[in-house]
This record gives sequence, structure tokens and C-alpha cells, in this order.
Amino acid sequence: MTGKQMVLSAALLAGLMAVPLVITQAYLLHLLILILFYTALTAAWNILTFGGKVSFGHAAFFGLGAYTSTILLLKADVNPWIGLIAAIGVALVGAATMTLPLLRLRGPMFTMATIAYAEVLRRVAILWRELTAGSEGLTIPFRPGLLYLSFTGKVAYYYIFLAIAATAVCLSSWLFHSATGFHLRAAASDEEAAQALGIDTNRVQVVALMWSAGITGALGVFYTQYVYMIDPDLVFSVTLFAIQPALNGIIGGLGTVWGPVLGAVVMTPLGEFLRSYLGGVRQGLNFFIYGVTLIVVVIVLPGGIISALHAIRRRVRGATASVPAKEGA
Amino acid sequence: MNDLFIQVVVSGLLIGGVYALLSIGLTMIFGVVRIINFAHGEIMMLAMYLTYWLHAAYGVDPYLSLFAVAPVLFLLGIVIQRLVIQPILDAPALMKVFATVGLYIALQNLALMLFKADFRTIQTPYASASLMFGGISVSLPRLYAFLFAIALIVGLWAFLKFTLVGTALRALAENRTVAQLMGIRVARLYRIAFGVGAAITGIAGTLLLPFSYVFPTIGSIYTLVAFVIVVLGGMGNMLGAFFGGLFIGLVESFSGTYVSPAIKEATYFAIFILVLVVRPQGLFGMGKGSEEVGLK
Repeated sequence: MTGKQMVLSAALLAGLMAVPLVITQAYLLHLLILILFYTALTAAWNILTFGGKVSFGHAAFFGLGAYTSTILLLKADVNPWIGLIAAIGVALVGAATMTLPLLRLRGPMFTMATIAYAEVLRRVAILWRELTAGSEGLTIPFRPGLLYLSFTGKVAYYYIFLAIAATAVCLSSWLFHSATGFHLRAAASDEEAAQALGIDTNRVQVVALMWSAGITGALGVFYTQYVYMIDPDLVFSVTLFAIQPALNGIIGGLGTVWGPVLGAVVMTPLGEFLRSYLGGVRQGLNFFIYGVTLIVVVIVLPGGIISALHAIRRRVRGATASVPAKEGA
Repeated sequence: MNDLFIQVVVSGLLIGGVYALLSIGLTMIFGVVRIINFAHGEIMMLAMYLTYWLHAAYGVDPYLSLFAVAPVLFLLGIVIQRLVIQPILDAPALMKVFATVGLYIALQNLALMLFKADFRTIQTPYASASLMFGGISVSLPRLYAFLFAIALIVGLWAFLKFTLVGTALRALAENRTVAQLMGIRVARLYRIAFGVGAAITGIAGTLLLPFSYVFPTIGSIYTLVAFVIVVLGGMGNMLGAFFGGLFIGLVESFSGTYVSPAIKEATYFAIFILVLVVRPQGLFGMGKGSEEVGLK
């Protein structure tokens, strides 16, 4: 990151921290919290795409995180902070079981395996009633205070999710620009060539999966502490916690640092609008529009908003400007 | 061998015939158009709803409704190929995944909009009828489904083997460039392949409905089933899909009887991962063009 970018990021963060001073309506704060949540989730999901792998099964890590901290809290009165560490651990174990498919499966087959994995975990959560209470779900008791990560009002949550989103984006940016990030991107464009250059592509793919799954598991905990009630169909929802970040990612610009952030910022309010206005009209209409949007974006703008911005900037600066690295696949 | 064992084998093979049909639909589209369709189960789900609707609204017998389901699904396949697949044929493998996942979300929620989330099925006079062979009982709708499926698979084989269009489709699966040079109209045949694939997938759905339920999210489990079978048999390999279908039918029947029907999905998933990890080319070898969809 250059000095100028540092200053810009710091200014952005400072501006975001001042937002609750201006905006006090609960609904608007809720919307901002959702945007921050999806920014973090998309940034975490996107880490795997640095190496050219697309997962539609991140709901698995999300759900594992959510259930781990909640079960610990309800059965052993473990506070959510310790629960968070346990949740990240369980999400990493969950990711470890996906390493073999990650390394052995190519393209669509890996994607299919990830969807199946999340679906299987959802089934397990429904059937393992002693632990999860099945489809009835689990409710977290409201005990206000930082120790139990529960607050009245939205402002505290706003700052928590702001911190998480900033952390996730920083981690993603750091990974992207690290040696691992370069190796991942090399593996994404030509795995064999990368291996020929001495890059341990297996190692970097696993590292990316672990970061991605760990952050996603942690987000499961924070999300649960925000909504207070979880059930298998919610936290293992492929649509909400795997397709949605994927959609944000592709609309913003796959495999870049800021593309997914842009995608989350643009798509979350749109999604909320569709859900609240169209969900009441016809159940399913909002997700139907999502599906169609995904198809249209792939056909019309496969590089996402970021690539469109780059194209505009190139045109403005003229043909002499440097051509940015090819994004996406 | 006791009767229960034979009973389990028979039920497994009967359902396996329908699974074979479902998977041949997927592998045919893959073999010719070179696309891995994540919305495959959703195509089947739409056919099940069409069958349901024809029965609920007009009292059409499910087997009679095949005459409507097949052409409608054929047209749907053509529309999907034209609007969704055609524009992204030259896109990277990753983008193709996104497009068909988008299709899967759209179709699933279209069904939710039209039919709500309820479980639906149809009541036929022969729904619980069965034949007895010695100590073995064979459910009539399951037997019909199996016989229809086998007849259709034989018919499809004859179509590919003996008709001009079928020969062209096989040529296209063999080598797209050479086929094009021989004057085969590629884009048109892609539409036909997707149409035929969608139609036989839809027929599989109609055959299943008399003894199962339909609901908007049912497609994803059948997509997984079809993927497992196709992977087992080798992508693009129709004979492999046929035997893979029977095999998965047996696995489902055995695990359902001796372990628990609830672990069905977990069993599919385990086999899927096992086959992909141990023998990614499938038990019968990988079809041509697998590298184009990012499999090699």
C-alpha cells in the first residue's frame, strides 16, 4: 500500500467511525451493519478466489462458527469471546476436511463439492437434535455487556462490525500483496507453470482456505450475537452466506481486494430493498432477481465494477496509462 | 439370500433406472455443449411441478403428461442454451460456473414464487399398488418408472446411433472443430443437445413424482445425485452414467434400509469425494473436452 492509499484508508475509516454521530435511526444503522457484515464475509470468501478456486460452501464454515459458540454458551456458559476462539478452531477443522477436495478437484467439481459439504452439514445440524435442537433452533439469552457480546441498541454493533470489516479487508489486502498472494495468483493463472517455478501451489491454496474459513467462522459468531437466534436453515444457508458473497464478489470484481468491498456496498442495500419490498409481494422474487442478476453480470460485465472503473480510468487518462492486471479467472 | 436382501436390490435397481436417465441428461449436455450445469436438478424440479400442475388442474395422468412435459422441457432447454449458455461459451470455466449457479438460484426461486414452499405430490389410483413375485413386492409406479426410463435410454441410444442429427451430435462431442469443418451447424446442434438433455431430465422428474414429493429446493439434491453418478461413470460417458445410476440406486436402497434414510445426502457426498479423490477420471474414463470446463 502506498502512502497516499494509507491516508485515504485512514480517512475512510475515520469517516465511518463518525457515522453513528450523524445517523441514529435504528433501521439505517441496521442496514449499515449488514453492509459491514457482508463486506467482511465477501472479503473472507474472496481470499480463496485469489488462487482461482470458487466455493459455494462457505455457509459450512459460517454455520460451524455460529453453532460452536452458541452451543458452548448454552451448555457450558462459555462467554462468546472464548467461544469465538473455539469457533475459529472448529471452522479451521471444517476447512481441513476440505483440503483434499481443494487440492484434488478442478474448477466446477470443487465448487460442487463445497455446495454438497454445506448441505451435508445443514442436514447433520437438523438431525443432531441433542446438540442443536434441530430445526427449532437455539436462542441466545440476552445478557447485556461486552463480556457476553450483547448490547441494547445498534451503535455498539455498528462499531463491532466496523472493526471486523476493517480487519477482514486488511487481512485480505495483506494476503493479496504478500508472497503467498502472488503465488496464489500465479497458481490461478497457470498452476503448472507456477509449480515449475518452484511455487508450492498446494501449500498456498491451503493457506488461503484456512484464512478464508477462519474469518468466515468468526463472522458466524458475531452474526449470531447480533440476531440472537439460529437454526440450521439460517446459518447453513448456501444462498445467504455463500451465494450472496459470491454475487458481491463477482459484481465488484473477482480476485481483487476492493472489488468485493464495492460489491457488498452496492448489493447489500439493493438486496435489502428487494427483500423488504418484493419479498412481501411474492416469496422468492428477490432471490429470483439475484439469480438473473448473476447470469447477466457474467455475460455483460465478467470483470465486475472494478474492471469497468479501470476501463473508464484508462479512457480518461488515454492509451498511455498502464494496463491493470487481468482480473477474475 | 433372504427376501429382504433381494427386496432391497430390486428397489435399488428400480430407482437406479430413473437416476440413470437423470444423469444421462446431464452427461449429454456436458458431452456436447461442454458445460457443467449446476441447474440440472432445477430443470427436473420444473418438470415435476408441470406434471403436478397438469394433474391438479386438469386431472392429467402423470404418464400421459409425459407428452406435454417432454416438448415443454425441450423448449426450455433451447431457451436456456440460447439465453444463458450461448453467450458464455468462450468464457473461462469459472464464469460458466457462476452463470449456471445463477440459473439454479433463479429457477429455484421461480418455483417458490409460483408454488410456495409446500411439499406436493399427486394421488393416483395405482400409487400404492404393487406386484408380488414370490416374497418380493414390486411397487407399480416404481416399476413403470424403471421400464419407461430403460425404454427411453434405449430410444436415445438408437437416436444417437442411427439418425443424422444423432450422428452429428456424436461428431460434435468427438471433435467440435472438425465437426464444424464438416459443415455441422454447431450453435443449432448445441440447442438440440441441451433441449434433448433437458427433456429426458424432465421425463425423469415426471416418472419420480407418483412416488415422491416436489418442493422448490428439491433440485439441489438431484443435482448432487446426477453429479455423483456422472463423476462415477466418467464425464460425458453415457454408458458410465447408466451403470453409475443403477449403482447409486443400490447404494441409496442399502443405506436407507440398513442404516437410515436420513443419511442419504451424506452417503452421496462421501461417494462423490471418494471417487473424485481416488479416481477423478471416473470408473469408466473421462469424456473428451473435459479440460474445456476446467476439469483437467
